Amino acid sequence: MSDQILKPDLEFTKEIIAAGGESLKKCYQCSTCTVVCDVTPDRKPFPRKEMLYAQWGLKDKLLASPDVWLCHQCSDCTAHCPRGAKPGEVLGAVRKMTIQEFSSPSFMGKMVNDSKFLLLLFAIPTIIFLFELFIQGHLTNGIPRIPNGQLMSYSLMFPPTLYIDTVFVPVAFFAAFMFFKGIKNYWAAMSANYPAPPRKDVITPLAETVREILTHSVFEKCGVSKDRSIAHKILFYSFIGLAITTTLAASYIYVFDYNGPYPQTNIVKWIGNVSGVAMLIGITMIVMNRIKNKEKVGAGSYFDWFFIVVVYGVGLTGMLAQILRLANIPVLGYPMYFAHLVFVFVLFAYAPYSKMAHMVYRTTAMVFAKYSKRS
Amino acid sequence: MDKKLALYICKGCSIGESIKLEKIETVSKNKMKVPVVKNHETLCGTEGIAMIKADIAAEGVNTLVLAACSGRVKYEEFDFPGCIVERVPVRELAVWSQEKSDAQQAAEDYIQMGIIKAQKGDMPEPYLMETVKDILVIGGGVAGMNAALQSANSGYNVVLVEKEAALGGFSAKLYKKIPTTLPFREPLIVDVDLEPTIRSVESNANIKVFKSAKVEKIEGQPGAFDVTISSNGSSEAVKIGAVILAAGWKPYDASKLGHLGYGKFKDVVTQVELEEIAKKGGIARPSDGKPAKKVAFIQCAGQRDANHLPYCSAMCCAASLKQAKYVRQDPDAIAMILYKDMRTPGRTEYYYKEAQNDPGVMLTKADVSGVSEGADGNLYVEMKDSLLGSSVKLEADLVVLATGMVPATADDPVLNLQYRQGPGLPDLELFNGFADSNFICFQYETRRTGVFAAGAVRQPMNMTEAQEDATGAALKAIQSAEHVAVGMSVHPRSWDLTFPDPMMTRCTSCKRCTEECPFGAIDEDEKGTPFFKPGRCRRCATCMGACPERIVSFKDYHVDMIGSMMKSTSIPDDEDEPRVFVICCENDAYPAIDTAALQKMKLDPAARFITLRCLGSMNLVWLADAFSRGVDGMLLMGCKFGENYQCHFAKGSELANYRLGKVQETLDRLQLEADRVKLVEVAIDEYGKVTQIINDFVDKIKEIGPNPFKGM
Repeated sequence: MSDQILKPDLEFTKEIIAAGGESLKKCYQCSTCTVVCDVTPDRKPFPRKEMLYAQWGLKDKLLASPDVWLCHQCSDCTAHCPRGAKPGEVLGAVRKMTIQEFSSPSFMGKMVNDSKFLLLLFAIPTIIFLFELFIQGHLTNGIPRIPNGQLMSYSLMFPPTLYIDTVFVPVAFFAAFMFFKGIKNYWAAMSANYPAPPRKDVITPLAETVREILTHSVFEKCGVSKDRSIAHKILFYSFIGLAITTTLAASYIYVFDYNGPYPQTNIVKWIGNVSGVAMLIGITMIVMNRIKNKEKVGAGSYFDWFFIVVVYGVGLTGMLAQILRLANIPVLGYPMYFAHLVFVFVLFAYAPYSKMAHMVYRTTAMVFAKYSKRS
Repeated sequence: MDKKLALYICKGCSIGESIKLEKIETVSKNKMKVPVVKNHETLCGTEGIAMIKADIAAEGVNTLVLAACSGRVKYEEFDFPGCIVERVPVRELAVWSQEKSDAQQAAEDYIQMGIIKAQKGDMPEPYLMETVKDILVIGGGVAGMNAALQSANSGYNVVLVEKEAALGGFSAKLYKKIPTTLPFREPLIVDVDLEPTIRSVESNANIKVFKSAKVEKIEGQPGAFDVTISSNGSSEAVKIGAVILAAGWKPYDASKLGHLGYGKFKDVVTQVELEEIAKKGGIARPSDGKPAKKVAFIQCAGQRDANHLPYCSAMCCAASLKQAKYVRQDPDAIAMILYKDMRTPGRTEYYYKEAQNDPGVMLTKADVSGVSEGADGNLYVEMKDSLLGSSVKLEADLVVLATGMVPATADDPVLNLQYRQGPGLPDLELFNGFADSNFICFQYETRRTGVFAAGAVRQPMNMTEAQEDATGAALKAIQSAEHVAVGMSVHPRSWDLTFPDPMMTRCTSCKRCTEECPFGAIDEDEKGTPFFKPGRCRRCATCMGACPERIVSFKDYHVDMIGSMMKSTSIPDDEDEPRVFVICCENDAYPAIDTAALQKMKLDPAARFITLRCLGSMNLVWLADAFSRGVDGMLLMGCKFGENYQCHFAKGSELANYRLGKVQETLDRLQLEADRVKLVEVAIDEYGKVTQIINDFVDKIKEIGPNPFKGM
């Protein structure tokens, strides 16, 4: 094999440092991290080599590799690192950069990861929904009017088909398309870097990956932050529950022409409420774990916290909107519902650029790893 | 001095219950002619001490045999100035380490040996000569200058010899240095700032500096060295008390590193050359003068390499980190450090931590296989088996080789001693040419008494360490000068006033002593007769062990004394009860045995322990005498010798082993089995092993059977 010429890139190293990997230069390659990691493969294990690539600014080796996603950031490495190099945090930063690298348009990635644009990100759905109120005549002198006199129903504010789905269906398509584009680029980059003999079928690796994700079998190998796997599992299944809820609700409207509000005894309310509560429990556990393990594994970045806050926002506004409706407090209920829509928009529209994207990139990386017989 | 002996037996610590004193007291009085024999319940108590003191005052007793505990305990209580004090460790060797049935015989033997030792020994009288205390420092670098300052500030006159035209040594060649104090903070490179030190040396009234000078020769002995210094074509003689060797180092010859491109490519330089480049301002490439943006540092260039320097020079990793900061003075430039292992000993580990925080200082473990030039004219460093890939290349504008330190003593005696054993320090190949010693307890010392090494000539080290080293060596040099002035040994027997006093009329000039003395203390006169220089002597008595004529004696230690002690020891009549002499070194092996006994571990009753100053003083005549008396076996316990020797006198146990090679002749003559003599190496902390070693040996002797000379 001819010698490969390495291209150390100081600027790229500085970018990782800026992205939350400020401890990466402390690594002195002792390999404690790789040894304590229960998730890493036996052959060419991480995260030591990633730490070295990061120190040398070897962009291609870092980003076009499934390895950074095989890491589940248990942070056992960070807890045991004798120099405080926090490999878990560094790999977290690299994952964020992977999302930014392969997602498009790239300015979106920058905006989602920069607190300067936080207000703008929330302003976009706010303006969209205010505009919807305006065209329905619900705005008087720019102030939303609270529908009253009738039984409280949020469809009075935003009739679902016309005013909800016309926004969210395109948002969903946009997100799905951008995800597709991102993982296509990512897969191509990995394939270029890993000329390993691929398996013929992708279905088996995909099935294995899905099984691993559903059971959280890899995540459960974590040591220091073991509780994270439980919290993540609860949150993960709450999202699945909410997806089922949405599908059911959509079928009520479009298939059975049965409009809400639905009685609390309806199955869709049962699934939705259980999932909503689970979401809040899951995300609360995640926050508590982060606070508890702050010393050992690091505080996390803006990227992490942006996602946590949005999930919290979605769950809280959703549950509160329902409670306020049942309590029949329109003056608080309608604004809460408005806020809920804004949060849901932020969650989905920016998913290809936020931490939400990890579900897609990690899955892709896990499938690729199995496909290319990495492990 | 007229000796008057007294034997005091302590009954404390269960000695009284285990041993019948009457018999011992009667034998001591009547047969051994000890005028005063007494016992006491607790000899170390106020009453016991008062009793001894009263006898010293009233009876004129001046030679005390204290049959009580080991000399390694209660030495403050049993301190009687002006008296010879012989401690007999009855408690340890006869009581605590023996079954009750064996205690009596052991106590009798040891007390008898103690009495003989006291009878045969004399009060030491120091060897006095005219001495000076001036200190010669060879080398005017950081180590040398600091050694000179420390000595001068302590009130000693110093003569400093520097081979170059200016003081400063290697440090003067540097652009910047690593800060000498913690914490290490950016910018991590500070001015070398040697001027104040050079000024204090040159302006110090107690220091005489010779520049462009060389030590032509050193004659004489500590306290009275005659040193000839040549400088600018003229010679000057000075009288010196002690010498500090701080001759420093030179870089390894990089022209031997062709595989790394040195000599082939202009832009491959050594660390030392990079200092010169940096001194001119900026890191400019030698080939075209352009600023180097990508600088690769290859660590261990010709180091830790059997074909070049087999050792690690300890300072080059930190030096490369420092030079990486030179490179990083240009914010766009990167420094790439390729190492086998980063080795930053001591405080420099903190420097490593701090320096590597700079994103532009990139480090990786790598096996550098070569440096080549690409078609584009750029240099490429080739690496194998690195984490960055199995076979990868790095492009570099400039390649810096971390070549190691070669001590000045590697190919030059430097000292130019006029000693029979040669001009330099012996056996330096053990330390790859460095003027080091393996003595854990005696740093800075060399195999030439009164000569102490400091700085990079002793071990690879950096400037901060050299500075500390200088202080240590200065203290040792001062101690040496002071001890020699009062006729006292320097170290390790730093209390000893005795000296070897050969009966030259019986000398056959066989020269064994001159050859074997580990410290070159014995020269020869014109006729080839050995000529002792007591100032150089460490009092190990290796000469006494070497001498076939047995003419070398010390006041309190001689062949006849030890031989007589051995002769006094009982030999059991019963053929099943062997008698084994364990001859042990008093520095390591005996303390190990004593510790075992203090812990009440049982020692084989066949063994009788006899301690020597050093196993090197073991004279073969003792073996011949003992075997012809019927002793069944002789076990010699000394220190580890060879590469990682632990002998306090460097060569003692090794020489004893060498002599044992010749004992075969004696055994053959006596028709005895070779296995009856054995030498084992024991460290001071191996007290857990000594009982087993002794048991195994006694079992072996039992297997061989009794000495046929027994009872003859």
